[in-house]
Amino acid sequence: MKILVAVKQVAALEEDFEFRADGRDVDGDFLVMDLNEWDDYSLEEAVKIKEACGGAVEIVAVSVGPPTVDEALRKCLAKGADRAVRIWDEAMRGSDSIAVARILAAAARAEAPDLLFAGVQSSDQAVAATGIATAGFLGWPHAAVVSQFTYTPGAATAVLRRELEGGLLHELEIRTPAVLTIQLGINTPRYASLRSIKQAAAKPIELRTLADLSLNAAEVGEAGSSARVRRMYVPDKGRAELIEGSAAEQAKRLAAIIRESTGAA
Amino acid sequence: MARDPKHDVLFRPIKIGPKTLRNRFYQVPHCIGAGSDKPGFQAANRSIKAEGGWAGINTEYCSIHPESDDTHRLSARIWDAGDVRNLRAMTDHIHQFGALAGVELWYGASHAPCMESRATPRGPSQYASEFETLTYCKEMDLDDIACVQQYYVDAAKRSRDAGFDIVYVYGAHSYLPLQFLSPYYNKRKDKYGGSLENRARFWLETLEKVRHAVGADCAIATRFAVDTLYGDAGVEVERDGVKFVELADPLVDLWDVDVGDIAEWGEDAGPSRFYLQGHQVPWTRFIKQIAKKPVLGVGRFTDPEKMTEIVTKGIADIIGAARPSISDPWLPKKIEEGRYDDIRVCIGCNVCISRWEIGGPPMICTQNATAGEEYRRGWHPEKFPKRGSEDSVLVIGAGPSGAECARVLLERGYAVHLYDTAAKIGGHLNSVATLPGLGEWGYHRDYRELQINKLIKKNKSSQLALSQKPMTADAALGYGAEKIVVATGSSWNTDGTNCLSHDPIPGADAGRPDQLTPEQVLEGRKAIGKRVVILNADTYFMAPSLAEKLAVAGHEVTLVTGVHLANYMHFTLEYPNMMRRLHELHIREVHNAFASRIEKGRLEVYDIFGDGSKRTYRGPGVLPRDANRSHRWVEFDSLVLVTGRHSHAGLFKELKDRRAEWEKNGVKDVYVIGDAEAPRLIADATFSGHRLAREIEESNAQLPLPYKREVAVWGVAHLPGSRFEIEYKT
Ligand SMILES: Cc1cc2nc3c(=O)[nH]c(=O)nc-3n(C[C@H](O)[C@H](O)[C@H](O)COP(=O)(O)O)c2cc1C
Ligand code: SF4
Repeated sequence: MKILVAVKQVAALEEDFEFRADGRDVDGDFLVMDLNEWDDYSLEEAVKIKEACGGAVEIVAVSVGPPTVDEALRKCLAKGADRAVRIWDEAMRGSDSIAVARILAAAARAEAPDLLFAGVQSSDQAVAATGIATAGFLGWPHAAVVSQFTYTPGAATAVLRRELEGGLLHELEIRTPAVLTIQLGINTPRYASLRSIKQAAAKPIELRTLADLSLNAAEVGEAGSSARVRRMYVPDKGRAELIEGSAAEQAKRLAAIIRESTGAA
Repeated sequence: MARDPKHDVLFRPIKIGPKTLRNRFYQVPHCIGAGSDKPGFQAANRSIKAEGGWAGINTEYCSIHPESDDTHRLSARIWDAGDVRNLRAMTDHIHQFGALAGVELWYGASHAPCMESRATPRGPSQYASEFETLTYCKEMDLDDIACVQQYYVDAAKRSRDAGFDIVYVYGAHSYLPLQFLSPYYNKRKDKYGGSLENRARFWLETLEKVRHAVGADCAIATRFAVDTLYGDAGVEVERDGVKFVELADPLVDLWDVDVGDIAEWGEDAGPSRFYLQGHQVPWTRFIKQIAKKPVLGVGRFTDPEKMTEIVTKGIADIIGAARPSISDPWLPKKIEEGRYDDIRVCIGCNVCISRWEIGGPPMICTQNATAGEEYRRGWHPEKFPKRGSEDSVLVIGAGPSGAECARVLLERGYAVHLYDTAAKIGGHLNSVATLPGLGEWGYHRDYRELQINKLIKKNKSSQLALSQKPMTADAALGYGAEKIVVATGSSWNTDGTNCLSHDPIPGADAGRPDQLTPEQVLEGRKAIGKRVVILNADTYFMAPSLAEKLAVAGHEVTLVTGVHLANYMHFTLEYPNMMRRLHELHIREVHNAFASRIEKGRLEVYDIFGDGSKRTYRGPGVLPRDANRSHRWVEFDSLVLVTGRHSHAGLFKELKDRRAEWEKNGVKDVYVIGDAEAPRLIADATFSGHRLAREIEESNAQLPLPYKREVAVWGVAHLPGSRFEIEYKT
């Protein structure tokens, strides 16, 4: 029994930041990288399944990205993943979530897991498509925004609950192999002890390239993406002013502001 | 991050007489326990503030002559060339960072008991000090007035020689100039008493003489309590207050104004329990309307928004601060750099003040563990030595000491896992901060929470693990940390164990439905009946705070106390208003009484001094005093046991007992800090965590390194050119 957990290293902004010269992203020097919050929960869900059945489950964390992503994968190893796989080729740079899904689907075919977990979304890009698009490429059953999950390793189906609008829940039975996107709060992710962090530091991270996954360069990166970022920017801030004083003074100031903003003298 | 442009006004220079303050941040005079006798302490503590951006930095009150000797409390002194030499260390170090140094010239009259000098203080009229009640002064005649004014002049000249830029004539906190001004002290019938002009004469003449002596070189400041808060028995701001400012304005370069007196100076240094930021503004705002000279005011200003409002609304030109500068010596720099999050906000507990009130041990601060340790331990509040090893550290307990230890270890670059069963950093402070008036104490937690979260983001192998199962010795040993710090805190005794009997009280048991510990009261899960008795053997805030909380909630509260109720609150200046609070809530107080046993719904109370004043030897097994026959039963619906605390020392003890297993688990050392070592003030718990984090590489880091002492040195005379030898006059 194998669970593949697709994870992403997400970026958070430093207090001060600048954009890249091409204006399409923040300059990497101003980003703090960390494991996507949702992925903590999907990894924990996998570890819980493994613990519940006494261990006959292999958990493989997989991520698409350059060597800096190893840090996020090591965090997964420290928290209970058995193996970590990083997929990278310079041609993959600039992949959108559909291209990433295509790569993950190829990795899933190679690993042949019983379940594939992904986060509902990533905290930096928030496209919320990667997991479900991967299911699309694989042609596997899928469920999004899973908030409760019951599965006995080896069983042909799993039972899950999904969050719907207005506090409603969907209870589904799903055939495996299946792709699930996991919602925050489904469990309480554990912390890694210092011992497991140290052990994780010594474990290998397996590398897969385009060729390993039988993909070609046209299917990934900007070439294989259906959307392209044109620019990233900070919107102009609205202005606010607290008007104080007597009612008459306030009315006077308000009239002045209206005149200013409508261009009347 | 750049600062918000709306705070720019705080960074505009301002002229005061012949000098210029580089911005509007000004450390008003405040004691630290250094005076003139610990020049290294004085120089380091004050110059770190100069480095941190303050424009003007003052001494504490500085005695001008042995006739104004505050021993047992600790002032600075500028009596002679020896003091000049020592204070020069402070001014030199302040000047290195481009700030101005000020000295607060002080003459106390009856408020200064002269226990070292044995001199006789002189005052406007003879009175017994309401602060130092056994001390009377001699009423000054005209010669005395001229003589004391000359003391000010001579001290001002020595101040200039010591390198001071700002020279004060100190008339706040009911010291001499204000005593002349206030009819509360001044009962004279001559030209120095009676009308306002007469009462103001001493102060005006003194300012004139000091100005004449040093005014070309130094800015002349005066500190004035514009309202003594006694109504017309003293100085009222809209009467004598503004009139005096009008008269003295031509003679000063800087007005430093506040309110209150010395006996209740908590009305000035207002504790957060009773006073908010800016609490003095309703009184001090009048001064700026009269004065043509720059005005500065105080009021625990920690928030740049509030400071900006004070300056832009014309309430004051300059932001004076004592406590905010102690809690965060780099406050101006942090505002300047837009690092608003990094400000270590003063919680208003007044523990800094407690040390002065106690009589002169070095100042400590609850928020800033480095306060008072700058020189002697070499601790800079904002700079940390890089880690001395690759060891990773597990800190168990995220209360005041554990969180501070983790924060400093993280600053030093250590990999730290901070672990707690609670969902939030803060330990017992999280519940203490829910007591009436103590909300701002939560800033202690907030600062550490924010800093730790920031630091952990940068240090990827570190972790903040909250809401965890209680840590066992097995789990701690197997955790993979080279160093384990146990910071598991303390709790209140459930069995009545106390500082008087050192034993449990028969029948005391907080496991019963009608008895509670303070924690149980704060948790709010146990029902509390109408009639509550609080049995107290603790001298700080817990008993009166709980009494207040329960009385406000409608309970009938009786405090039975075997120790001086709230004694430490005298030192934090919270006592007078705390007593007013108990009084207005009709809380019954039974003093000098404790409990001998407890039964369901009643406790047996006895008078502590009910055992006879005669002590005689009566043989073994027989008490040397009479049997105490004062016992009587007092009924309650609920009893709260504020009798004493004990450390949660179990985990540390077990880890120590299992030392044989350390090596195979890769554990190099195990430490205990904070209340888990011994229950104490939050300030001291914070210090103990900070101390360990600074010294964790030492071979026996559980015990503090020795610090650099500043003491008189045999073989060296204090006064330059004089002899140190024993010399009898025969
Ligand atoms: C520890 C401490 C010692 C003080 N000692 C003095 C002093 O020596 N002379 C003085 O004029 N005021 C003294 N004060 C009062 C302060 O100058 C100030 O008026 C008061 O604390 C209110 O300001 P704050 O709210 O900024 O703390 C002291 C205050 C503190 C906290
Ligand atoms: S001891 Fe308390 S009141 Fe004094 S400066 Fe520190 S935090 Fe503020």
